[in-house]
Amino acid sequence: MNRDEPSGPILRAAGLVKTHRPEGAAPVHAVRGVDLTVARGEFVAVTGPSGAGKSTLLHLLGGLDRPDSGALWVDGRQVDTYSEARWAELRRHHIGIVFQFFNLVSNLSVADNVELPALLAGRSPRQARTDRTELLDELGLTGKENCTPGELSGGEQQRVALARALVNSPSLLLADEPAGSLDSKGTREVLRLLARFHRRGQTILLVTHDARIASAADRVISFFDGRVRDDAHLGSAPDRPAAGVSDVLKLKG
Amino acid sequence: MRAAARWTRAHLRAHRPAAVLIVLATAGITISLLLATALFAYATDPWQRVFTQSSGAHVWIHTQAGTPAGSLAALDEVRAASGPFPTVRATASLQPGGARATLELRGTSRRPATAAPQVVAGRWLDERADAGSTRGIVLDASVAHAIWAKPGDSLALSGFTAPLRVVGIADSAEVPFRAGETPGVGWVLPRTLAASDAGQDQHGRTIGLRLGNPADTDYVVQRAVTRLGADQITDVSTWRQARADAAGDNSLLARLLGLFGLGALFAAALAVGGAISSRIRGHLRDISVLKAIGFTPGQVVRMFLALHLGFALLGVTLGALVTQFLGPLAPGRIGDATAVWRQLPEHTWLPLAICGGVVAFIGSATCLTAWRAGRVPPVPVARAAAPTAGRPSALTRRALGLKIPPALVLGWRGAFHRPLRSSAAVARLAVPLLLITIALGAWTTVDRFTARPESVGLAAALTARSDTLDDPAVRQLLAGQHRLTAYPGAEVQALVPGQTGTITLRGLGTLARPYPLAVAEGHAARGPDEAVAGQGLLELLDAHVGDWVRMTVAGRPHVLHIVGRSIETADAGRVISTTLDTLRDGDTATPTPQPPRPDFYNLVLHHGTDPAAVRDALTKASGGRLEVRQVPNPADQLSTVRAVAAGLIAVLTLIGLAELATTVGATVRDRGRDLLALRAVGLTPRQITAVIVSATAFVTLAAALAGTVLGVLASRWLIDLQGAASGWGTGIAQRPAFGVLALVIALAVTVSAAASALPAARAARRRLADSASAVL
Amino acid sequence: MRLPLLALLVGGPAHGYELKQALENLLGAAYPQPNVGQIYVTLNRLEKAALIEGEDVEQSDRPNKRIYRITDAGRETVDAWFEETTAEPRVRDEFFMKLALAPHTGTADQITLINKQRRQYLNTMRDLSKLAASEDRDNRVAQLLIEGAMLHLQADLDWLERCQEELE
Repeated sequence: MNRDEPSGPILRAAGLVKTHRPEGAAPVHAVRGVDLTVARGEFVAVTGPSGAGKSTLLHLLGGLDRPDSGALWVDGRQVDTYSEARWAELRRHHIGIVFQFFNLVSNLSVADNVELPALLAGRSPRQARTDRTELLDELGLTGKENCTPGELSGGEQQRVALARALVNSPSLLLADEPAGSLDSKGTREVLRLLARFHRRGQTILLVTHDARIASAADRVISFFDGRVRDDAHLGSAPDRPAAGVSDVLKLKG
Repeated sequence: MRAAARWTRAHLRAHRPAAVLIVLATAGITISLLLATALFAYATDPWQRVFTQSSGAHVWIHTQAGTPAGSLAALDEVRAASGPFPTVRATASLQPGGARATLELRGTSRRPATAAPQVVAGRWLDERADAGSTRGIVLDASVAHAIWAKPGDSLALSGFTAPLRVVGIADSAEVPFRAGETPGVGWVLPRTLAASDAGQDQHGRTIGLRLGNPADTDYVVQRAVTRLGADQITDVSTWRQARADAAGDNSLLARLLGLFGLGALFAAALAVGGAISSRIRGHLRDISVLKAIGFTPGQVVRMFLALHLGFALLGVTLGALVTQFLGPLAPGRIGDATAVWRQLPEHTWLPLAICGGVVAFIGSATCLTAWRAGRVPPVPVARAAAPTAGRPSALTRRALGLKIPPALVLGWRGAFHRPLRSSAAVARLAVPLLLITIALGAWTTVDRFTARPESVGLAAALTARSDTLDDPAVRQLLAGQHRLTAYPGAEVQALVPGQTGTITLRGLGTLARPYPLAVAEGHAARGPDEAVAGQGLLELLDAHVGDWVRMTVAGRPHVLHIVGRSIETADAGRVISTTLDTLRDGDTATPTPQPPRPDFYNLVLHHGTDPAAVRDALTKASGGRLEVRQVPNPADQLSTVRAVAAGLIAVLTLIGLAELATTVGATVRDRGRDLLALRAVGLTPRQITAVIVSATAFVTLAAALAGTVLGVLASRWLIDLQGAASGWGTGIAQRPAFGVLALVIALAVTVSAAASALPAARAARRRLADSASAVL
Repeated sequence: MRLPLLALLVGGPAHGYELKQALENLLGAAYPQPNVGQIYVTLNRLEKAALIEGEDVEQSDRPNKRIYRITDAGRETVDAWFEETTAEPRVRDEFFMKLALAPHTGTADQITLINKQRRQYLNTMRDLSKLAASEDRDNRVAQLLIEGAMLHLQADLDWLERCQEELE
């Protein structure tokens, strides 16, 4: 799913700062000076306690919110000065976003929901339909093209959201607590799918507080109180004892 | 583009009933406005209406008896001709010695097709019935009014031995009857005409010409004169003259109607704008999702704009088509008005202008809300994060402690805890109610003219005057009637310094028996040289109450002290009234203790007495030598205001209902979000329904109170404004009865409670799972 | 190890190697591989405690096998084991000891400790996921065991976050 594009990190952030000022309450420093680089094909997870500002960071990286200060490059382009309209165009072609609460358009069918970004990107309806059929088959949703989101289970809705995010083969897939509203079965499904697309080369950045999902990533960034506290590549420590599992399963006697 | 079309199509499919409702509402508003304009044209320009209805003739040529007037019909510019009719001049009076009028009798067997007289009372001539022993005549309305003839009356005509019977009264678009100047028109059968033994010089011929282009009038007149010869033509009249003579003081009416129309349009725009913004607010989550997917703000704005402009265009077109084709089929005045309106010259562009205006208004309302929709952040924020609840106020806690049902208390809080949002909702709902109250105020003011005319300066319904009887005889005759009080009066034209025209100086009543004027400021004339002036006069002379004014009557000066302002509906208020004593004081050369001699008597009838009956009795008692006339009451002209006010109230109710639907929808949506919290508190679904219903009812109550109170104030201010502008004076306004206002408020609250009951019940029973996703 | 072996013997007599096989089959690869020597030692101890009784069996071409059978006392012990509940909050934790003592040494940094431990837990979680994927889907017992471990890990990670909050 990678595009033929100049090499270099797909995402680079320098000194992002964002402060929320809700009315009648103290200002919340959601993001305090974050530097971040995501290489092509990486699977990055951002973990941290709730309220730490992870979602805000994701919104900044996806252009859904404007940073108070700092610079941001997506695919080599400096985007922190983009207007909302330009961001929208960028998102159409290069960024797919999956949300915790699925956020499907409630009065569109599944097929329409998935085809909408494709039509926005300028593809013909026939082409959009082909892409949509392909993706839905891939995700195991054949036969549900004409259902409305209200008729689907949580797991199915999230898969539709994933299909919608991926229909334009974006360079970057952003996910905000993708399994936050799902049961354990749904979580496993989402994990499996994310792993599958990652194997094909999709760059993924997701935000989660679920350790199982975080551990599926190559790289885990610990986000705490608006700042990055740790940036670890998993599975790279060679001196991990094989009996590490048994340490957890100590029995009495 | 394709994406926008796809989304719009799916959106329409999902919200079909709401879309249909919007289109219907827009169509309804358009129909109401078009019908209102038709009524407006119908009511404010009666001459035009009659001209169009009767296919009036632009030029009337009166010639000698033998002139070949019919040849004029062959002129190129003439589209159709009325006549030529043989005519005979005659003098008519209801009773010998009664009011006389000169008539031009026209002989015609059938009702002419061009310049067809519109029968308003009685019937047209019938070949069999009206040619026998009793000959029938149909009178033109202007002359009938002047001599007070009505169908069934006997008309004594010079040149006829037996009196003719009036079988009908008809309106025509010709120059109206004016005593001494223009003869009135009476239609008779040709046989009747032949029976007249008037001299040859009284015979003539009349032809009416309807032109293809009204601008050719002067040219056609010239051609006619040249063709027939100036010596053959006795009189020529054109439609312009007729229109000028017929035009009454319709400016007040026209202004009122125009104001009403604008008000209704404004209210409609508000209602539609409110509905649209409410719908968009209900879709905020979808909008932010669309933006997250990749719709630019401009695209979102354009999508919503296109969608709602599409609705507007569809609704307006539907409304215009319905009015065009089904309007004339409507019963009563509305049908007539629409049928006539179609033929009026302004009809080509006026409906288009109205439709365009509606679309423009809706468009501008949509623009604002669409722009706001474009500014929705692409971050789908959980709406529960918005501050919906604060700590319950002390009032709430006390109310709950007092065992007021919790549903009411929560409903109150729900209605008003967001002051900005709730005041906007209250304001939008209050506007139609305010306009309805203004319409009611206009209605009751017009009622005042008919029910209590003495409060608007029209105490006397009749005036009695005699040329042949002397004053004591007149007084005796008047004393013979029981149900009236007679006040002596005289009227002269006076010159004031600085004015080229004259003003009317009236002396009514005596110091002993003062005339009941409607004094708005100051007090009535009590002493010598005191007078009360109308608003128009005060403006003309730039005087105020308390000033002294000097005027000259027939060379003699009068100096009067203006001690009060009265409401004067005659002569645009340029009247100054004093007592007869003061008026005659300056006249009599020798101060004699004789009572002053009045020119006429104003007859103030006791309540409930029929003026026509009194008039008949007096005329009979005096043998026709006492001329009794009815005092013109502007209420006759303003009666259309009542019909218009009723129509306006209907339109505003429609608009108010549309507003209400929006408010109900918004309240249900807002309260529905608190569903989980309310359930957790322990309210049953019925109580939750009650919360939502009471929230809506409270908002409506606040709006109704605000609307009626402001409406009463505004109505008084507007009517006073009109009164001051027309010279009648301020103080004619009459506010609607408290009972009526209370009824309006009660109705509004009941309707809103009823309208919100069903959606509230449905919302209260929604499954929790649905409401969770609705929160975000 | 004692009581699981006893419980297995309730089902019928067996010898040491059979018991080892049974344990492996039951618990799957997640469970640490039971050491054969450890099993025989435990069986010996159990015999000495008279909870099981052993019996040699002649074999033609191999050394004698010893078949074990459970005694009444052993059965009672197993019953009692099932009766009692396992209750003990995990207060003995080496990591927490390290965290608490770090400031006193002056050489170790608490945040670094936390980060290192977190990485460890995440890697373990990763391995558990891989294990769960490779293990037979129908072996419910094994899958539950793995899931239990993952949940414990999640709890440990959440606790690490709390520690980080408090120490910041």
